[in-house]
Amino acid sequence: MARIELRNIQKFFGAVQVLKDVNLTIEDGEFVVMLGQSGCGKTTTLRAIAGLETVSSGTISIDGKEVQDLRAADRDIAFVFQSFSLYPHMTVRENIAFPLRAVRMSQSELDAAVNEVAGVLGIERFLNRKPSALSGGDMQRVAIGRALVRRPKALLMDEPIGALDAKLREQMRAEIKRLHISRGSTSVYVTHDQIEAMSLADRIVVMHAGLLQQVGAPEEVYNRPANLFVAQFVGSPVMNVSDIAVEGGAGAAVLSFGKGTRLPVAGGHVGHLPGQRPVKLGIRPEAVLLRHAPEPGFVETETTNIEPLGSHEIVDVRLGDATLRARVEPGFVGDGQKVWVGIDPERAHFFDGESGMALRRTA
Amino acid sequence: MAEVKTKGEVIFNRAAIVAVLIALVIMLTPIFWIGATAFKPRNLATTAPPTVFFEPTLSPFAKLFTKRSQLREPVDEATYAAAPWWEQLIYDGGESVVRNKKTGEATSSGYGNRYMNSLIVSIISTFLAVSMGTITAYGFSRFRVPGEQDWLFFILSTRMLPPIVVAIPMFLMYRAVGLYDTHVGLIILYTAFNLSFAVWIMKGFIDEIPREYEEAALVDGYTRLQAFRKIVLPEALTGIAATAVFCFITAWNEYAFALMMTSRNAQTAPPYIPSQVGSGLSDWTVIASGAFLFLLPVAIFTFLLRNHLLRGMSFGAIRK
Ligand SMILES: Nc1ncnc2c1ncn2[C@@H]1O[C@H](COP(=O)(O)OP(=O)(O)OP(=O)(O)O)[C@@H](O)[C@H]1O
Ligand SMILES: [Mg+2]
Repeated sequence: MARIELRNIQKFFGAVQVLKDVNLTIEDGEFVVMLGQSGCGKTTTLRAIAGLETVSSGTISIDGKEVQDLRAADRDIAFVFQSFSLYPHMTVRENIAFPLRAVRMSQSELDAAVNEVAGVLGIERFLNRKPSALSGGDMQRVAIGRALVRRPKALLMDEPIGALDAKLREQMRAEIKRLHISRGSTSVYVTHDQIEAMSLADRIVVMHAGLLQQVGAPEEVYNRPANLFVAQFVGSPVMNVSDIAVEGGAGAAVLSFGKGTRLPVAGGHVGHLPGQRPVKLGIRPEAVLLRHAPEPGFVETETTNIEPLGSHEIVDVRLGDATLRARVEPGFVGDGQKVWVGIDPERAHFFDGESGMALRRTA
Repeated sequence: MAEVKTKGEVIFNRAAIVAVLIALVIMLTPIFWIGATAFKPRNLATTAPPTVFFEPTLSPFAKLFTKRSQLREPVDEATYAAAPWWEQLIYDGGESVVRNKKTGEATSSGYGNRYMNSLIVSIISTFLAVSMGTITAYGFSRFRVPGEQDWLFFILSTRMLPPIVVAIPMFLMYRAVGLYDTHVGLIILYTAFNLSFAVWIMKGFIDEIPREYEEAALVDGYTRLQAFRKIVLPEALTGIAATAVFCFITAWNEYAFALMMTSRNAQTAPPYIPSQVGSGLSDWTVIASGAFLFLLPVAIFTFLLRNHLLRGMSFGAIRK
């Protein structure tokens, strides 16, 4: 088990800078999930930690020892690839034993280690099969077994279940979590699936364009996004974001959505916003409130689209220039009907219109 | 569900079978004819129409490996009875084995040596071309090589000149450096000739092997070389087999260089066999037996590797 520290990591591929000053500390036994869009540099970061990619500058230390110049083989880290990468010419047993054969080890010790891991992962039945005779989920169990068998300092997983179907993903997610809890191995897990990130992570690292956007516990990333990118990347359906003008001051204020649509809010929620600068309002669909009758703080509008999702529905309503999506119970309102819309100011997020940084109350 | 075939498909399938049979007959007839002639007594070799049913004899092979002269008069019975079976076969054909005046040993025709030369040169050059080609292909496939495309084109371009064009300059160079008529000379030549092919084919196969296989081995504590040996080589086996068969066939059948670059010591079988045609009276049974033996190694080699080849010939299409 180990503590991993990345300091000022930069990585160029030719002239293209893929990692721009990445700083991250992963605590011993922590499960960190790196979340970001395709091409943002998640895999590159992981490969740099593993030693499969050299860094252009910066230091990587494991338990306080700098390793950026060590070969992958000498870092004692395990890697699970999205493609599973089981060796097709070896049986499952040989695949799992392969990392142990790199070090001198007696056959009985080796068998014991393989059997132990196979037991934990429930793959004893296939030990003598070739990987091509396994289902996707079992292949990934074997891949994880191969990674865990030599008890590495840390376990790196690059979209390990991205290639599986939805049901299996859910099941494997639970298994990975259980495994992490029982083994407590320091883990870095890459995904672009935010549900995976939310459910697995001790801390989520949101990455975009080679920079870490926010590092924090899942609730923190969800409830207090550091900037617009994080706000819109985390959460489903996506957070509503609209340009607004803030009028009024300390007591009561009005958010203007254009076309004369104005929503009054208690001034305490917006008092910290800068007067002159453009501001964006971010509000998650569950914080957009709909009413069947007029109420203070609500304005009249019409529904423009309804997306039934079984347990709930997503209703689109127009509010000035903006379309807000609201999350309501099924059958709450029909398409094209009149409703009154408001927002829960406690759960409203404000962002600087230019930089996209969150504008938080300093309280 | 059983496949349902339309009438058109059935007719097409039958026609295809007939076409394949006709092609087979056309292609196998010469081979059958060579094989049959190799076991015929001399007087049946050139009959018209050809003799199909005959009592096979090993006399062409006995003659193939020895130097003979015409008998003026038949041998006496005691000598005949004392002679080994192969010599008796030669006496039967009205010839006697030329023997060394001092030692009394039978004089070899030289075919055996040439056959050995062919084996030595082909096997060693195939081994060298395939192993060097595999390592080179691995380098091109896995590392960023400056000017990679140019290098690959350059490697291929060495195959663009027909051998006969470079044969004379090569001959002069080989004579100057003492490689003329040596095994090493031919091995170098065939290795160089096959290497470009091996690099190109093996690069295709190695490109197909996911890098992650080696990377998994690298993080699991193996060196690059160990990963190559334990992961890449086994995965590339079909490619290696296919490449080896092609290289072996090329080296084994090579004629032009062998003819120009060797004379006695290192000459291979291909230039030797035609040299026997028309030196005095042509004995077609002897030529056929030489050709028949010459066909065997390629057939055996290909047969041994057939499982790998079937997969290899699809050039990675069905892996994974
Ligand atoms: N070997 C390479 N040479 C050049 N560019 C590369 C190389 N590897 C990655 N890149 C580039 O670096 C960027 C980041 O790649 P990376 O694989 O880290 O993204 P990622 O976040 O893992 O994306 P994904 O979710 O698609 O896996 C991409 O734009 C990619 O094209
Ligand atoms: Mg990736």
